[in-house]
Amino acid sequence: MLDETFDALKSYDWGMDPKAILPLDEAVVSTHGDAAARKALEDRLLAVLRTDASRDAKDAVCRVLRTIGTVASIPTLAALLPDEKLSHMARYALERIPGPEAAQALLSAIPKVAPKIKIGLISSLEARREASAIPALQILLASTDPSVAQSAAYALGAIGHPEANQALAEAKPTLATKAAIADASLACAESLLAHGRKTDAKATYQRLLAGNPTKPVKLAATRGLQACSAG
Amino acid sequence: MNHPKATRRDFLKTTGLTAAAFGFPTIIPSSALGNAETLPPSERIVMGGIGLGNQGGNDLGGFLGNKNVQYVAVCDVRKSVRDQRKGKVDDQYKTKDCVAYNDFRELLAREDIDAVHIATPDHWHAQMVIAACRAGKDVYCQKPETRNLAEGPRMIEAARRYGRVVSGGSQRVFQDYRDTVQKCWSGELGQIKSINVNVGPLPQAACNLPAETVPEDIDWDMWLGPAPWAPYNSKRCSGSFSTAGNSWRSYSDYSSGGLTDWGAHHFGGATYAVDVRELQPTDITYHDEGGKKFLTFTYPNGLLLTHNMPGKGNLEVVGTAGSYLHVADAKAGEIKPAVVATPGANRPAKPIPGYSAKGGIYADFLNCVKTREKPFRDIELAVNSSLLSHLAMLAYTVRRSLKWDAAQQLFPGDEEANRFLDKARREPWQL
Repeated sequence: MLDETFDALKSYDWGMDPKAILPLDEAVVSTHGDAAARKALEDRLLAVLRTDASRDAKDAVCRVLRTIGTVASIPTLAALLPDEKLSHMARYALERIPGPEAAQALLSAIPKVAPKIKIGLISSLEARREASAIPALQILLASTDPSVAQSAAYALGAIGHPEANQALAEAKPTLATKAAIADASLACAESLLAHGRKTDAKATYQRLLAGNPTKPVKLAATRGLQACSAG
Repeated sequence: MNHPKATRRDFLKTTGLTAAAFGFPTIIPSSALGNAETLPPSERIVMGGIGLGNQGGNDLGGFLGNKNVQYVAVCDVRKSVRDQRKGKVDDQYKTKDCVAYNDFRELLAREDIDAVHIATPDHWHAQMVIAACRAGKDVYCQKPETRNLAEGPRMIEAARRYGRVVSGGSQRVFQDYRDTVQKCWSGELGQIKSINVNVGPLPQAACNLPAETVPEDIDWDMWLGPAPWAPYNSKRCSGSFSTAGNSWRSYSDYSSGGLTDWGAHHFGGATYAVDVRELQPTDITYHDEGGKKFLTFTYPNGLLLTHNMPGKGNLEVVGTAGSYLHVADAKAGEIKPAVVATPGANRPAKPIPGYSAKGGIYADFLNCVKTREKPFRDIELAVNSSLLSHLAMLAYTVRRSLKWDAAQQLFPGDEEANRFLDKARREPWQL
């Protein structure tokens, strides 16, 4: 059955019956707990990514790798990251593979890709709450592309680490990045407060209030200060 | 222009320090009154709508007809839709002032807008709710409010951070299951032990519809947004309420079939009836008995919520004092109560939570915008309800039982299940 499915993948494209590749989903379920079978399946899927199969076929492969991909998948997926058409679905799989290798693949690709794809990579690092990305994100905060800088700010906020907060505090907000840096700072302050670091949280809220904040940020920071003073 | 300070503070409750100081609606100049009923401008809530197809159009009508609202902006990625909706708004006020947008970010950037309602396909909900909160807007968002497990906490976080009123959008939770709610909350059934929900189906196999020429009317890239790229097909983006493969509701890149689409209503009604709206289950037990697959959700208080349990009706409740089967809307008169009283098993009635104002879920939201109370379907309650659909979807996908840690928002020690918490967003979209 799987041989037929992999045959179907060779010519799979939009408009074809998706049931032709449904056995891949069955294989994921049936190989649960069987490392050898999973590896065999993964190897066959990676082989498809290295061919000239259609974008649709490769998308379908990446959807399966999202569930079963391991460190072994990373080089093949990483090679797709600069490709404007395949980058997202490569991340679809890569973002969910645990471990530092996947994070490193995302980080390594950042200097090599167009701004729009950079944002995709940053969003995947954000989704992983990747603390190892903080130094790179701090550099990207100063990007001349405002969308990239905003993206880096949001990622630092989601990571919420004290070093992320420090990076945001040291940033020089522009008109384009001010809101993102403020939101990220608020997120960091909440994280600090949740970990009992009231003094640091308070300092963050006070910094925000001193920076001519917008109404939403002023409200949020004032509420945050109240929370710092509570019980 | 006058700014009547006393009037604003009269209808706003101040919680703590800041809600009244920073959260009140914008002033509408008298020139914008048009033919609207003459509620004082300072008391009207300025609104815009995003995603105005089938359900969005219904929501627009609901808000537009409310005297508390001044509707100023429409947004849809289809020009014909936004033009038609703009026309409806302009007709209401006998002006040409409503602005039509393709890009929701431009609408959210308007400082005069206090609140927005969102009825895009599900894959946009989290993105837009969070952006709206960051922009200082209160939000009414259609159900299902989330498309996966990672989105809910981010939406709640944004709402709380910015002190926003965020309401989910299931009007059926309050109005469709009243009989069951009444029976449960009255104490007649005693302590509730279990409730069953029948809803589905799961989404169709991956959407692989063929490419069609993109009509000039639609911004296809914007319609897709954070979802994976795919070629345009009219059935892929149809807003039909069907889940049979001819609508976005059918496909997991945009929604999750009937399980989320009607699950939002039925799970919402069930958790309301048995008073677990504020809780999340700890265990999801997968059953496969003779080919019949169903689930049991176990709550921290011991309550069992089953999904598609064979032999059980929809919202069929079992308590220590008896059991009750919800009256389906279409079967009025065929009440099938099965109350078997056990002496001494009744418990005192509890007051039933409901809307904060008359006029349905729209009025509840608008009233909460003024009072800054949490609405009946507050985003946290909405997320807890939608969560059940996503947990069910995953259990049926992996065909095994799961454990859920509500505090950590993950499946403890289950790496495979945790991969399903979120899906990578297509650049340049990021929560």
